[in-house]
Amino acid sequence: MKYASQKVAYWFFATCMLLLGLQIVYGFIMAFAHAGFDVLHAVIPFHVARATHNNLLVVWLLCGFMGAAYFIIPEEADRELMWPTLAYVQLGALVAVGVTAIAGFHVGWFEGRKFLEIPRPLDYLVVVDVLLFIANIGATMWYGRRVTTTSLVLFFGLFSAALLYLPGLIDTPNQTEDSYWRWWVVHLWVEGVWELILGGILSYLLLKLTGVDREVVEKWLYVIVGFTFLSGILGTGHHYYFIGTPRYWLWIGGVFGAIEPLAFLGMAIYAVAMARLGGRNHPNSVAVLWTVGCAIMSFVGAGFLGFAHTLPQVNLYTHGTLVTAMHGHLAFWGAYAMIVLGIITYAMPLMTGRKCYQAPSAALAFWTSNIGMIAMTLAFAVAGVTQVYLERRIGMDFVTVQKEIEVHFYGLILAAGLFASGVAMFIWNFVSYGLPVDALVGAEMEIEVEEVQVRMVRS
Amino acid sequence: MLSKSAARAFFLVGTAVCSLAFVGLTVDTFGRIPEQTHSAAITPEVARGKVLWEASNCMGCHTIFGEGAYYAPELTTVYERRGPDFIRAMLRDPEAMYPGQRRMQNYHFDDRQIEDLLAFLKWSGAVDLNGFPPKPTLMPVAVPVPGKDGAVATSIDRPQIFNQMCVACHALGGQGGALGPALDGVGMRRDAKYLHDWLTDPHAVKADARMPKLPLTPGQIDELVAFLSHLKTGGTP
Ligand code: HEC
Ligand code: HEC
Ligand code: HEM
Ligand SMILES: [Fe+2]
Repeated sequence: MKYASQKVAYWFFATCMLLLGLQIVYGFIMAFAHAGFDVLHAVIPFHVARATHNNLLVVWLLCGFMGAAYFIIPEEADRELMWPTLAYVQLGALVAVGVTAIAGFHVGWFEGRKFLEIPRPLDYLVVVDVLLFIANIGATMWYGRRVTTTSLVLFFGLFSAALLYLPGLIDTPNQTEDSYWRWWVVHLWVEGVWELILGGILSYLLLKLTGVDREVVEKWLYVIVGFTFLSGILGTGHHYYFIGTPRYWLWIGGVFGAIEPLAFLGMAIYAVAMARLGGRNHPNSVAVLWTVGCAIMSFVGAGFLGFAHTLPQVNLYTHGTLVTAMHGHLAFWGAYAMIVLGIITYAMPLMTGRKCYQAPSAALAFWTSNIGMIAMTLAFAVAGVTQVYLERRIGMDFVTVQKEIEVHFYGLILAAGLFASGVAMFIWNFVSYGLPVDALVGAEMEIEVEEVQVRMVRS
Repeated sequence: MLSKSAARAFFLVGTAVCSLAFVGLTVDTFGRIPEQTHSAAITPEVARGKVLWEASNCMGCHTIFGEGAYYAPELTTVYERRGPDFIRAMLRDPEAMYPGQRRMQNYHFDDRQIEDLLAFLKWSGAVDLNGFPPKPTLMPVAVPVPGKDGAVATSIDRPQIFNQMCVACHALGGQGGALGPALDGVGMRRDAKYLHDWLTDPHAVKADARMPKLPLTPGQIDELVAFLSHLKTGGTP
């Protein structure tokens, strides 16, 4: 850790761990309901669990991105964070808004639009909070000693994510228009500007972990985010097939949606190539695992499984079925959850001076959670494809089909158990790192961390 | 070899061109949405229904236009599929139409709220969704079976109320719900009087009947009894 203010990131990461754990609890509630054991219906009915699960995901990922930015930007800009205290205030406010929203869901306070369930008044607070964050890292970059491409890409990703939240606030009595704007948030986030954030964090990690030349890493970063926008902006059309918008979207969404996976393929090749090229054997091998793993899994979840249902001929049948849930899980996990867990794994030893990544549980957490998530995806896939076949092709009744596929949710629950134990190990590892220590300020690399540790032990 | 500035130019130009195209298409789309969605039919009831739909988070279990959660049936065309009386009964008491099944939230709506939601669902069913939801292409083709007077009975002869309400729980010719027994050949098992009494109030016939008392008019009951009495064989399609 080079600057004292970087340790703000720790508190964001700790929040991530807490919310991720809660998200999984609500996931289990829904899986049991699908399997026929809706035992909590009176207290937490399905739609409440669903809104909570989705919004915890969004909030912990945003928290992770903010933590990552607070860790990366000072180092890239070569100065302390502009207003460290503001960062703590901003975290506290975000948590307060999140807790209010989630408590609200439990008493039936919603604005029930998938992923945007947070009620309108709280939306404005989220926007203000994110603007404070943007101002903080923006000012740090502005007054910093250097502006790197990595930090620029990260900054503009975060900035545009804040801007793109606004179309989601447009009020209209027409469900079609409502859905049209909702996708400006949901699609243009995950298949647009969040990929800048992902690219920014990824290239920072590759720079640090592989030792490849900055020029090379950042040049390819531009190419990848170039492909992202080239395909992803008009690719929004793959959500405009069947919502009451003109037919030409079937062509536009079909063509541009189909090339979207290229950006993810590029990202996977990029990470693997840089890791090979660098050839540095970084001591924090688990961070390398998460980094390269993230690039590969995002291709599988977003690129491959996204492609599986993006063509209009296919989407006509899969639209609004569990096939979407299959894709959504692996895509969010592979691309965004894994990058956040990756930067946490990288940053923790630098902030705390401990090397818990050497514990067997660190690598085991990676493998268990990933195998668990892949198995979950398979369970969703079998359930989803069966649903499509029976309901959409044969014409069987919805409720009857759901009974048929209950058994796949037993499989899902088993897989989720594996996944959850992987995440539990990760959280355990995180906790065992302890709190950040000031003695490490000024140390830039692992090698120095070791020296500092020696110094700490001596003093 | 590609230089960094060329890579940056690729990114900036590509993004600018695509964003402009996207904004242009959005303007064009908003010019066409009113016609495709019959926005003139969005009455104050429909608008209130949509607000209620969101405030109740129906999308947390159901899909509409294929968007939402996958726990409960797609509702875009539910108005046509089930008819208003079924939906009213469902919203008044979610246990009414699917007793003992996967559970829906009981919101305790008042009559006006139910009419608003109904107006919203009726509007949504009329929107032109470019062919969604798809027709089941592999559905067994209706094979005409000669009726008792030699006439060919096809699914056209089914009363509309049967296709809306009864198939939610009963199958006929292999199509429909599985909550109640299949109704193929029911005309052999039950006479017209039994059927009439049963449809008027199942609990009057059998105290522990698992079929709810349905919102049916006397005219509809007569029509259904006539239809069911005709189901003598393994089943008409
Ligand atoms: C907790 C989940 C849940 C919520 C929330 C929910 N529903 Fe349902 N709904 C269901 C389930 C499950 C069914 C399928 C029948 C059954 O098993 O009870 C259903 C069935 C229906 C049906 C009949 C559909 C058919 O094809 O027969 C209608 C209409 C309906 N719901 C409307 C609504 C409306 C309107 C709202 C919001 C005000 C809503 N539901 C909220 C779970 C839910
Ligand atoms: C909510 C689900 C449900 C709906 C809707 C429903 N039924 Fe039923 N029905 C049942 C169940 C369950 C039984 C078995 C009752 C029992 O034995 O307790 C049944 C039994 C019957 C029987 C007796 C069958 C036999 O072989 O004895 C007839 C006839 C019948 N229903 C006709 C209808 C008609 C006509 C409609 C449409 C107006 C209809 N049902 C709608 C659930 C339903
Ligand atoms: C990391 C990137 C991605 C994430 C996190 C992600 C996540 C999701 C989620 C959560 C949904 C459900 C949204 C909703 O119903 O509100 C969804 C839908 C969809 N995604 Fe992705 N996705 C990603 C990338 C992609 C890519 C690259 C493609 C195309 C190749 C794609 C194709 C689709 C399609 C077609 C749907 C619509 C499904 C339907 O409703 O019919 N996704 N995605
Ligand atoms: Fe998308």
